[in-house]
Amino acid sequence: MTANVPEAGAPSAVPVAPDGEWLRVHPASPFVRGWVALAAIGFFFGRDIFERSLQGRPIFGEDFAGRAPWLVAGGGIVLVVTVVGFILTWYFTKYQVSEGYVRVNSGFLFRQQRQARLDRVQAIDIVQPLLARIFGLAELKFEVADAGESAVKLAYLRMDDARQLRATILARAAGVVPDPARPQEAAPEAPEYPVLSVPPSRLIGSLLLSEQSFFVVVGGIASVILSVVTENRGFFFYLIPAVLGLAASYWGSFNKGYNFTAAISPDGIRLRYGLLDTQAQTLPPGRIQALKVAQSPLWRIFGWYRIQVNVAGYGAAGSNGETASRTTLLPVGKLPDVMSMLALVLPDPGTPEPGKIIAAGLSGLNSDGGFVTTPRRGRFLAPLGWRRNGFAATGTALLIRSGRWWRELVVVPHQRTQSMALHQGPLARRFGVADVVLHTTAGPVSPRLTQAGLDEARALFDAQSARARLARKRQTSEQWLAQVAPVVEPVDTPAPQQTLQQEGPQRG
Amino acid sequence: MRTEAIDPPGISWQRVSPKYVTVRLVQWAIGNLVTVIVLTLPLVFVLLGWWRWPPLGLAITVPAVTLVLAIWRLVLIPRQVRAIGYAERDDDLLVRGGIFFQRTMAVPYGRMQYVDIGVGPVERGLGLCTLKLHTASPGTNATIPGLPAAEGARLREQLAARGEARLAGL
Repeated sequence: MTANVPEAGAPSAVPVAPDGEWLRVHPASPFVRGWVALAAIGFFFGRDIFERSLQGRPIFGEDFAGRAPWLVAGGGIVLVVTVVGFILTWYFTKYQVSEGYVRVNSGFLFRQQRQARLDRVQAIDIVQPLLARIFGLAELKFEVADAGESAVKLAYLRMDDARQLRATILARAAGVVPDPARPQEAAPEAPEYPVLSVPPSRLIGSLLLSEQSFFVVVGGIASVILSVVTENRGFFFYLIPAVLGLAASYWGSFNKGYNFTAAISPDGIRLRYGLLDTQAQTLPPGRIQALKVAQSPLWRIFGWYRIQVNVAGYGAAGSNGETASRTTLLPVGKLPDVMSMLALVLPDPGTPEPGKIIAAGLSGLNSDGGFVTTPRRGRFLAPLGWRRNGFAATGTALLIRSGRWWRELVVVPHQRTQSMALHQGPLARRFGVADVVLHTTAGPVSPRLTQAGLDEARALFDAQSARARLARKRQTSEQWLAQVAPVVEPVDTPAPQQTLQQEGPQRG
Repeated sequence: MRTEAIDPPGISWQRVSPKYVTVRLVQWAIGNLVTVIVLTLPLVFVLLGWWRWPPLGLAITVPAVTLVLAIWRLVLIPRQVRAIGYAERDDDLLVRGGIFFQRTMAVPYGRMQYVDIGVGPVERGLGLCTLKLHTASPGTNATIPGLPAAEGARLREQLAARGEARLAGL
């Protein structure tokens, strides 16, 4: 019982658990990480020789004999310093999983010790860049609610070790106590069941039908017309950089989204994707803070949707595409795919007919599926969307739909609402409407109910506060095996008492 | 305090200190007067004959419009300060503000990650402080400015105690 109840603040008097062994990352990892530096050194010294041999000149010039010792000594020193640095970095990087914490020590000049609580895990990713994949290595990222950098980043481990470590961390985070009789026995990896996959043809189709492609076509037509009108053939040369940039962008999306598969396991939702660089994400149950299903007008032809989520550890989508792909729960999928992903995120939809209400949220108008929309008096503020802007509350989540052409459905579980606000500007006051904003963690989803009737908005504000309060009381622990209503039946139960733990620390 | 349409009914709002108007006046003066003075410089130079451009009309219009806007903001300050209010309910703290663009926010105690108290130089002179609530969401922009220092300290302790009792996971 002691191993999984870390008391915050109280120094741990428990002897170090046998599993708390300090381990090192794979010895090759600094070379895989720093291959750019090694390549640069090689390039610097190799270029000259290469050029000379290409030009048919003697590889060593006449004045080479005088410089050679210096060159060799300089190159050797740079190489030795780099390699020694790599080895020291590797030697001083150690990690440990014990007593409900994962700890990482790193650095030899500037030492850093970091520890993160296992039951605060928001997501675990295993990332394999191309070079690491060639060597069979993988990087493990452990996210806590920091919305910035990863709490723990271990680069690189052998792929099997990374998966084993992920299984151990997830088992501890779930509240599984290691069996004291067999401490060395590793936690078994939770079985997973595939849910859906995105075929490459659909991925290519979704890229071709994206807004970006629309603007490419418009821009292409415009430049053809421009060049015809101005009779300037050279005009096209200016487009070459733009074409290169677009090709890189399409390639990036394709590389990231290729072979997307989703699976469910007792540890949570598993997502895998990537062509050259592969990534495997694990989102434990109840870590998704908000979710958005979106459909652009072009995607409506094939009935495709995209799902994006807010996860506390991932943070807001920055300029790099990495966060954007990590916060995508489904890059492109049809209605049944959307339904099955929603079923994973919200195992208990809190309504007897979830299919109907979600279908109404995705494409319905007016009061289909019990949605409350903008009153008729507010139609001048949203001439297109007023019949669609609306909300519906189930027992476990709030659904906000919007957009007549760019359709959106936002789902926020009640127990994930952070705070709420009512907004009303002068125009909205004139029409007797108000906006309701739900605040969630940083991410691509920002739930906002626009132009609800004043009375409905106020009622929702009160009712939603009450629902969120009730949901918070019901959720007693972050160790998901210990939650009152387990999401999935635990498959591995080494000790019977572990499910008896009712409440985590600090939650009165 | 007047209750606006979007406020939940039956709330008795706590108002911030009227002295906070002074803080806002100082902020207004620093921001707006400097802008107006800088924008008036071309007019002065044109009148003195140092500059040929801009034309006199433009040189007058730009600072005049800025000045009118600045005075408009100045007139609004007392009403804006009066519009700031907060109320401690059983499970959440309500914060409201704004006249034209009104906002009423509910921050559950169990969601508060930490509470900040900040004191600027002008506020310190007047014995005021600014309280800021943080949740896990960057969207929670709940700031109560212009609290008397004692009230700020009391509110912070109160919020911390209530947050402790109701702390929930993310």
